[in-house]
Amino acid sequence: MIQIQNVNKAFKGSPAVQNLSLEVNEGEILGLLGANGAGKSTTINMLLGFLPPDSGTVKINKLDTSQNTQEVRRLIGYIPENVNLYPYLTGIENLDYFCRLAGLKYTKAELQKVLSTCGLQNEAHTKKIATYSKGMRQKVGIAIAYAKKAKVYLLDEPASGLDPLASNEFSELLKKLAAEGAAILMASHDIFRVREVCHSIGILKKGELVKKLQSKEVTANELEKLYLEFMQN
Amino acid sequence: MFQIIKNEWLYYSRTRLFLGISAGFILVLLFSIFLGSYQTQIQTENYQTAQKHLREQWESIKEMNPHGAAHYGTYVFKPANLLSSLDEGVNSITGNVLRVEGHVQNEIVHSEASQMQTISKFGKLKSSLLLQFIVPILLIFLAFSSISNEKQSGRLKLLLLQGTSPLQLIFAKTLSVWLYGLALLCTTILVYTLLNIQNINSEIMSRAGLFLLTYSFYYFVISGLTVFFSARWQNPTLALTSMLGVWILWTIFLPHILMSSVEKWHELPSRNEFKVAMKEDRSKGVDGHNPSDERKKEFEQKVLKEYGVDSLSQLPINFDGLVMQADEEYGNMVWDKHFGNLRVVLSEQKQSYQLGGILNPFISLQNASMGFAASDNLHHQDFLVQVENYRRDFIKMLNDKHAFGGSKTGDWSWKAGNEFFKSVPDFEYKPTSLATVLSNYFLDFFILGFWVVFVLMLLILGTKKMQVL
Repeated sequence: MIQIQNVNKAFKGSPAVQNLSLEVNEGEILGLLGANGAGKSTTINMLLGFLPPDSGTVKINKLDTSQNTQEVRRLIGYIPENVNLYPYLTGIENLDYFCRLAGLKYTKAELQKVLSTCGLQNEAHTKKIATYSKGMRQKVGIAIAYAKKAKVYLLDEPASGLDPLASNEFSELLKKLAAEGAAILMASHDIFRVREVCHSIGILKKGELVKKLQSKEVTANELEKLYLEFMQN
Repeated sequence: MFQIIKNEWLYYSRTRLFLGISAGFILVLLFSIFLGSYQTQIQTENYQTAQKHLREQWESIKEMNPHGAAHYGTYVFKPANLLSSLDEGVNSITGNVLRVEGHVQNEIVHSEASQMQTISKFGKLKSSLLLQFIVPILLIFLAFSSISNEKQSGRLKLLLLQGTSPLQLIFAKTLSVWLYGLALLCTTILVYTLLNIQNINSEIMSRAGLFLLTYSFYYFVISGLTVFFSARWQNPTLALTSMLGVWILWTIFLPHILMSSVEKWHELPSRNEFKVAMKEDRSKGVDGHNPSDERKKEFEQKVLKEYGVDSLSQLPINFDGLVMQADEEYGNMVWDKHFGNLRVVLSEQKQSYQLGGILNPFISLQNASMGFAASDNLHHQDFLVQVENYRRDFIKMLNDKHAFGGSKTGDWSWKAGNEFFKSVPDFEYKPTSLATVLSNYFLDFFILGFWVVFVLMLLILGTKKMQVL
């Protein structure tokens, strides 16, 4: 579903992504680990069609993201580190608004069902987003992508700053989405969460994919050790 | 696009600060409309009372020498157009009372500005003051962060991922802000209509419609330009600063700079020069009150020849009336020449100033606003011309009565009766036609249209320059 082949991207001559190749299939969750400036967000922005690669190809569902931007965006659900929604709207109003922008019209009951599926408690649906915690806003973000029937989820540090309970709920939600057939790429610093949620893991260093492995191949401690080795070398 | 506009209006309706400012502003706006309508109504009533009183005085003349009556004269009042309660234009400085008498074309006097205790830089509180200066500021404050806030919060990415195009977003944000301005405009026109419902006619409604259209063009320019800056700059403060700079330039500096330049390019004679030139030319005419005047003697010979008599005493008419009328006609010719020249220069100034709208749409807005509210110099000049034409007919009627009414030359004690004075028509102002107004303000309208197209192009360009990341 997600295909990145031999991609290079530089900013003012400074390489951000170098010769990157990776694939994420339907039902798969790929975790991208890396320090700040490793190229995680640049990779996601290329997948979103906001940045064109200097060379190589970035495809979603076999469509080039820089040439078929609008078609590709219809398939993508994007959850940034902070899902900033409209604070004067309630959760359900925000979801309704974003759905309508995508040309989708749901009944109130359908919208409530989507929010509940994404883990937002019923009593929060009609409260203004200004009163939401970060975890609740992330759930509404997921709900927007879910309601859109996104086939690909791109997550940029989505669980950063969440309390353990919210983080755990969020992980369960991602597993559920993958089980329904979504391809998920998650950029994160959180080694333990990535090990727990993702099927496969890539370690990025200075724009290069220095290691790719399956989660089940390593324990969380081994992954941490491996990650630190790569970062220190 | 509709969804974005709807969402923006939800934001407005749920923001207490916005609601508070809007409510306060609408109250001031309503007050200004009420005050403007009340002032116009009072002014009209006062003028009607004064005009009626003067007419009664005129019609109560039992017996009087017609030329004496010409010196007695009358007064004419400039009627206030209903729409001038929205935009007072030049009315407060031009004066509104004109004395009509023989031998002399008096200047209009009693301007409101000359009788005010304090003169504000921006004039009296009229709807136009709020609509031209304050509403654009409100629109700027509504629009300056419309795109940059979406960028800074990261919502822009989400919006684009939902299939919204940058162009849709920019247009929707512009229209949302513009609709707010339009709502204030419509409120103004609606309240004004309700307050003046008994006097509204199709011409006033057409003018009000054009007034509304002109402002709506200008508001689109302000809204679009602010949204463009918001899309162009990452920082909303920079967008606000840029747009406030444009507002200050357009409303404060450029109008003065352009007006001064126009006055230099098409210079009017000084008041003194003009008066001296008029007096000099006027002195070359027949002096009806000076028996030894050479030109009077020439005219006398001509009249005697015409009637086939040898002396004035043999004339079947009163020569004094003829000579007074000849003097009038000469004076009229001098007036036409000098004021004609003055009007040519004024017209050139107006056209050049109108072209200044290419640099500053605020100029086009002010011109068209005054024009459609009938408070501009065009309407004022039209009034002066109508009064002068009336004066000429009025004095000619009196002189003709003096000459052909049955008296003999030199018989200054002869008097016309009350019936005659009653038969002299009163001044009746004919409002400037809408077609004339439109032809005079087409350029301003066209320039505002040009600005709308220019801003539309900027917005399209803005989508290309809009930085998402």
